[in-house]
Amino acid sequence: MTEKEYNGILVFAEQRNGEIHHVSYELLNKAEELAAELNCPIFAALLGPTGIEAEELIYRGAHEVYYLEDEAFGQPDELFYKENLVDLIEELKPEIILLGATNFGRSLAPRVAAALDTGLTADCTDLRVDEAGKLLQIRPAFSENILAQIETVTYPQMATVRYKEFVERDRDATLEGEIIKKSPTKAQEQSIEVLELLEQQKVNIAEAEVVVAGGKGIKKAADFELLQKLATKLGGVIGASRDIIDAGYLSKEYQIGYSGYRVAPKLYIACGISGAPQHVAGIKEADKIIAINTDPSAPIFEIADYGIIGDLYQVIPKLIEEVQEDETRDN
Amino acid sequence: MKQEIIKRLEEIVGQNWVDTDPERVISYSKEQTNNAYGLVTPQPVKGSVIVKPAGAKEIAEVLKYANQELIKVIPKGAGTGLSANAIPTEPSIILSVERLNKMLEVDEENLMVSCEAAVTLGDLIEELKKNDKLYFPLHPGDEGAQVGGMVAMNAGGVRAVKHGIMRDQVKGLEAVLPTGEIVSFGGKFGKLLKNNAGYDLMQLLIGSEGTLGIITKVVLKLYPEPKATGTLIIPYQKRRNAFQTVPKILQEGIIPMAIEYMEKEEIEDAVQGIGKEWPSKEGSSYLMVILAEDKEDTLYDKAEVIGEICEEVGAGEILIAETNAEQQSILEIRSHVLPAIAGKIVDSPDVTVPRSKLAEYLDQLDQLAEEYNTKIPVIAHAGDGNLHPIILKEEGEVPAYYDQLKEKIYQVAVDLGGTVTGEHGVGMLRLKFLPLQLGQAEQRIMWKIKEAFDPNEILNPGKAVVKVSN
Amino acid sequence: MKIIVLIKQVPEMERVKFDTERGVINRKSAGVEINPFDLNALEAALQIKEELGAEVIALSMGPTRAEGVIKEAIARGADDGVLLTDRKFSGADTRATSYLLASAIEEIGNVDLVIAGEMTVDGDTAQVGPQTAEYLGLAHVAYVTKLKKIREDYLTVVSSVWDANYLKKLKYPGLITVTKDLNTPRLPLLKRKLEVREAEVEKWGIADFKTDLDHQDVGLKGSCTRVRKIEVPSLIEREGKIWTGDELTEAITEVAQICQEKDRMGE
Repeated sequence: MTEKEYNGILVFAEQRNGEIHHVSYELLNKAEELAAELNCPIFAALLGPTGIEAEELIYRGAHEVYYLEDEAFGQPDELFYKENLVDLIEELKPEIILLGATNFGRSLAPRVAAALDTGLTADCTDLRVDEAGKLLQIRPAFSENILAQIETVTYPQMATVRYKEFVERDRDATLEGEIIKKSPTKAQEQSIEVLELLEQQKVNIAEAEVVVAGGKGIKKAADFELLQKLATKLGGVIGASRDIIDAGYLSKEYQIGYSGYRVAPKLYIACGISGAPQHVAGIKEADKIIAINTDPSAPIFEIADYGIIGDLYQVIPKLIEEVQEDETRDN
Repeated sequence: MKQEIIKRLEEIVGQNWVDTDPERVISYSKEQTNNAYGLVTPQPVKGSVIVKPAGAKEIAEVLKYANQELIKVIPKGAGTGLSANAIPTEPSIILSVERLNKMLEVDEENLMVSCEAAVTLGDLIEELKKNDKLYFPLHPGDEGAQVGGMVAMNAGGVRAVKHGIMRDQVKGLEAVLPTGEIVSFGGKFGKLLKNNAGYDLMQLLIGSEGTLGIITKVVLKLYPEPKATGTLIIPYQKRRNAFQTVPKILQEGIIPMAIEYMEKEEIEDAVQGIGKEWPSKEGSSYLMVILAEDKEDTLYDKAEVIGEICEEVGAGEILIAETNAEQQSILEIRSHVLPAIAGKIVDSPDVTVPRSKLAEYLDQLDQLAEEYNTKIPVIAHAGDGNLHPIILKEEGEVPAYYDQLKEKIYQVAVDLGGTVTGEHGVGMLRLKFLPLQLGQAEQRIMWKIKEAFDPNEILNPGKAVVKVSN
Repeated sequence: MKIIVLIKQVPEMERVKFDTERGVINRKSAGVEINPFDLNALEAALQIKEELGAEVIALSMGPTRAEGVIKEAIARGADDGVLLTDRKFSGADTRATSYLLASAIEEIGNVDLVIAGEMTVDGDTAQVGPQTAEYLGLAHVAYVTKLKKIREDYLTVVSSVWDANYLKKLKYPGLITVTKDLNTPRLPLLKRKLEVREAEVEKWGIADFKTDLDHQDVGLKGSCTRVRKIEVPSLIEREGKIWTGDELTEAITEVAQICQEKDRMGE
């Protein structure tokens, strides 16, 4: 097939338990920007159980929402999703397909790409259109040390895009569009079964307002209690740099950075974190960064709004004390 | 501390760099010894003052003043020592070198690195990671340790079998004497490989434990980074067999970077603390052998010979770690053993015996354990003959036999031709055991040297050297 | 039971240097090693083998010198290994790689389970596992953090998706990709390592495939994406206020204030 046959941008609107994931609105924002250059429509594919407010996707810039309703989409069954998404893509023939680079997106997208036998670029941090109207996909590689610009030579051009990399499309309830409800074209396969939801992850670092994170300067796992105390006091959560996860002090759901979660809190407190580029990339969206480190030459101070050159084991207990006093005064 | 002293110190180093806050003074007065051997380590006195000079000149001014006013001065590094060496026993000036933290030069032609005293082992490792070819092989343990302190204490640690201890690495040194003179050794740049000009006072300052001068600058040897490294884990049922292996390996002309010895229980404490897993599932005693060679083939040839030796002495299945991450992880477990067991131990003497006597020494330790109806676990830098037998708490307390047992642990070592401290130094912890090893004449000349450097006994008093009155 | 473990030789990331100004990757000082995540995949296979008895085969694509990772896998307990190596295979993106791996797995035949690491540390895509599953027409479970039940005809595994842990049942044949949290990989026995060093690694070029493998489907030709440019990002700077140790009291007070301002903003 030639590129002429392909038109439009399809955003896969990931939903969980009937709630549309915010990465979908970020993708729609980017899609709008790309669509303006390509002069093409924006489709959203919503595969989910009944009762989702699909018009939200219209308010965020989608022109047409294809809502495939089925209770089975309430489970993360990539095979079932793939079969139905592929059918939809073959019907719509979009030139660009964007999915959020969530675990689910990164598990689903390769299957879809392989089924369509087209190229896929993983975990993009930026997207552009070149003069020829081709999609330029920018993504980190080499354990997040480099940025590569990638183009796809086949159609459709597919990419997964990092969560929290773009801002969300503003909600505009005056926008109009069409919601096309459909039933699945394919049934669930028997080779795979989602048996049960065991537990939600305890922390949701990506959406936290305050993050108190520890790095190499933390001497042992138990010392995160100290950080937790400060975080609790500030209504936030704890996080960590890759060293800590590698050392086994905390599990991966706490990892912040290129290979972990990207965070965008109002306040980020980096405790004993040196500030390697990989880590910094995960916190650049923070409103305010406070760094505590004994090493005055630590790169973290270059990107911090406020820095304390000192031992976190001395500074944090005092900070906890001070914050508490203030609260009592305020109340 | 009197107000006029504070004022004078502030004149020398500036107001920002003098600190009398009681809490910080106490924290600066403690060291790792207080954490590791809390029950038997002297508590610091109150009332000291912290001074943080900017460089050698300010240090010289502080020392001149202290020498004139007869105020005691405690040189302070990172506080990672394990001999109660930087703890003030009377109100003193705690002279922290922390601002002397500049890396000065990595000299690729001479294979040397120059740095100020407060550059940490971790800084040094990081800096040399940028270099394709060179590295600093020693790893005394805590990467927070400062180079000046490592030299002053003549640190040893894990990777000393092949390249020796700190004493063997220092090629140049600048220090400030207690009388306020700044001295430097090792030629103008401190990069000489041969230097026969007069008494080797540099070697005297190395390991002087801050009693002869304050080290401000150091030049260390670097080595070409070995292309192939591997860490063997060798399990044993009996610890005697592990120690028997050591001289046999060395006899074959195999000089590993490190030959470490550990026991199962201590390893279990360590892995729990840092959430790792010990790779070997068999045995109760382990040797960890780090090989570093130019070629992978050489590494495996040597590993094969080690394998044969171990089979003869009845070791279990040998494992080999080759990826960086896996080797690092094993070294981390090793480094974490002491902190992990701190809660259950009273003390861990630091004896060294000739390598040929290792197995015999172990037998004697077993006898002592039986005699006192206790266990004496051992961690050891086995390749150096350097052992840390562990004296355990009894029901959380110092056992009644503690003093007796400790003395015997030392006496047995000395009888076998050993020493009361292989690497941690004398400090205050081992001062009273020094006479087990040193005679009157040796002690007298040591004290005379102390007097020559520090006539008013202001610098780090009560540590490292026994005062001999004539 | 036959298990294939997908492995890749990667540069030792710790020693790779990245030149910000010139946008260049310098691998000169770095050695090579097995992709760390693949060790978790291999360990999973070995645990299944211990439980059920299985033949574990390590499969890799790469230049001839990548035979080292096959040997490494065998030293750690794999029964056998195949290295797919041919100049025509070079320049492959994830599509061409997955297509080739899938073809080789079909060629090996009667495979019950394929295990891959979550991703590689040089590519960072996490795509090859699921793409290979699709080309093989197998179901897959990604981001596996735990093997719950290991049975003759199925596995139940915990998969980390949707910010939650889901228990999934995968009937053989199937594919899983595993995370670092799954296990601690075992070390090789020295004895086995020494044996394997002498051994020959089985290598397949394009001509060694009995079923026809189209040149257009492998290597650069079989790739759907092209790298146009590479840059090494530099640090972002912010205008900062720094307190040193002796201004600690002041610093604490101000920082506590800043923390609370945020607090009020949040309310």
